[in-house]
Amino acid sequence: MTSPILATTTVGSFPKPPHLLDARRKVARKQMDPAELHRLERAATEDWIRKQEELDLDILVDGEMYRGDMVAFFADQMDGFQIAGMVRSYGNRYYPKPAVVAPVGRRAPLTVDWYKFAQGLTSRPVKGMLTGPYTIAEWSFNEYYPTRRELVLELARAIHDEAVDLERAGATYIQIDEPAIHTRPDEDFDLAVEAMEIVTRGLRAYTVTHVCYGEVPRIYPAMLRLAVNQIDLALKNDDYALLETFKSPPFTKDIGLGVLDAHSHRAESPEEVADGIRRTLKVIPLPQIYVSPDCGLKTRTTEETMAKLKSMVEGTRIVRKELAS
Amino acid sequence: MQTTVVGSYPKIPDPPAPGRWRSSVEKLQRGEISAADLRRVEEEVTDEVLREQAELGIEVVTDGQIRWEDGFTYFARGLTGFTINGLQRYFDTNVYYRQPVATGEVTWQAPISVQDYAFAAAHSARPVKPVVTGPFTLAVMSRDDHYRNLDRFVMALARALNQELRALAEAGASIIQVDEPGLLVRRDQWPLFQRATEALWDGVRARRALYLYFGHIDGLYPAVLDLPVDVLGLDFVAGQQRNWEILRRAPFTKELGLGVLDARNTRMETPEEVAAACRRAADFVTPSKLHVSPSAGLEFLPRRVARKKLETLAAGVRRAKEGAA
Repeated sequence: MTSPILATTTVGSFPKPPHLLDARRKVARKQMDPAELHRLERAATEDWIRKQEELDLDILVDGEMYRGDMVAFFADQMDGFQIAGMVRSYGNRYYPKPAVVAPVGRRAPLTVDWYKFAQGLTSRPVKGMLTGPYTIAEWSFNEYYPTRRELVLELARAIHDEAVDLERAGATYIQIDEPAIHTRPDEDFDLAVEAMEIVTRGLRAYTVTHVCYGEVPRIYPAMLRLAVNQIDLALKNDDYALLETFKSPPFTKDIGLGVLDAHSHRAESPEEVADGIRRTLKVIPLPQIYVSPDCGLKTRTTEETMAKLKSMVEGTRIVRKELAS
Repeated sequence: MQTTVVGSYPKIPDPPAPGRWRSSVEKLQRGEISAADLRRVEEEVTDEVLREQAELGIEVVTDGQIRWEDGFTYFARGLTGFTINGLQRYFDTNVYYRQPVATGEVTWQAPISVQDYAFAAAHSARPVKPVVTGPFTLAVMSRDDHYRNLDRFVMALARALNQELRALAEAGASIIQVDEPGLLVRRDQWPLFQRATEALWDGVRARRALYLYFGHIDGLYPAVLDLPVDVLGLDFVAGQQRNWEILRRAPFTKELGLGVLDARNTRMETPEEVAAACRRAADFVTPSKLHVSPSAGLEFLPRRVARKKLETLAAGVRRAKEGAA
């Protein structure tokens, strides 16, 4: 696996075009054939693959045109879950929160078909994208398992099976999103570490976990124990304040360096991105740095997303050039 | 023995009913409606939530906090000295709040929640209990770029919010609830908390309720009995057995807020479980001093489940009363 220095990538989701959102609503109201939605999702995925190639990103994602919520997408397809209803996460953002009502498990591969479809469209690597067991458990109601630990570990085994299937299908990068991992840092971090070990056990693929929001300093340096190659983090959101934390002890994993605020409308400038990378280089060695947005971009418009990513790629080029000279 | 709630209520109904509040916020963001239009929708939803609580058998209700972005922004934006920053996790939940940042002297200028309280009081068939986020919790969940000293920051907030409590009492609130879950994550700051609570309630002519949820108060009991409050609300779900155990250690001299239904899980309690908790509490508090409620605000649940929880609460309290009669 060779990637350039400061390889550029994204966290997973891209905005869905309005006609796709419309189609999803119609299918929910049974006014459209799901097969037609599926066709539109494939077209939108192909469009995002082309856009990423045009932007010259190094490691691609499928853009998650076919996913609603990152937990419900998995819960909907697995045994043991039902959707309890809509719950607010912040502002006017709501998500369909699943409830665990019976033993959880995987009936069939969950993401492999979409991975294969996306990878078939490009010669650049496409990441396999999974939601981690701790986050699936934490973002669901647990009506069934006596303890969170039992639920998390059962889910870890299911997600591991999925990761193995992705690898067999050719995935060389597998990302396991764990945005909820620091919900109970004191009580539960060992459990999160144990679960990640189960998920990535025996994989040869390059593994990434994405962690966002919350107090990252509270799980540092413990998070360096997570059994992954790279931890992808939101740095821009808080103007790189986390770099202070990563000075000591040193950041020993690769970092997915979030250089774009995923929740602001404004496009960062290339120079702003370059500056963020330069500041990071004072703390984390060059070979360990991958460049990425803070978070999935699905809440941005397509125009905002493209403008932000263009700056990210240009900003990265500025630094690459400086380092080459 | 009385049924009450701890604060928030789901703002949107379950699909397929349209989430009018949610879509109105979107319309406001797109510039399609005015802030006054949104306010009207919020009033209608508040009205509906007041009615719903009463119909379900809740005797002392809240306005459901329909207009609260979150427990911090709602107050911080009404005080001087704050700006509002990025998203942070709200305790060990999957809910996020925008973090207030103190950048100047924190002072109270004008009533923040009084108009909303007055609206609810005028539209409710049942007594309305206004809820205010406590100064200690507001401080520990904010970033302090001004005082750079927790003691000074908390005390400034206590003085500012004291004026809010006075204004609520003057507007006719006979009971006021202050939420301080933050104490349970910063137990080491007990002496400061005690001073802040005294300053907060100074001269406030209303019955005083202090709610401590998301954990147990082991280590703070019986010290909390010295606080100048009338009602102490405790979480017997997250606090589990430890809150029951500590009540044995010293005679309970206040009225008790008995948070017995899990406000954060869809698993449904039975009326008998609620009745049993009421009977158990009767060992420590005479039934007339018992305020039975969910463990926290109900916005962690889908609307349908929140309704069912309140129905169960009312049925359980009825059963306990019949048993006692």
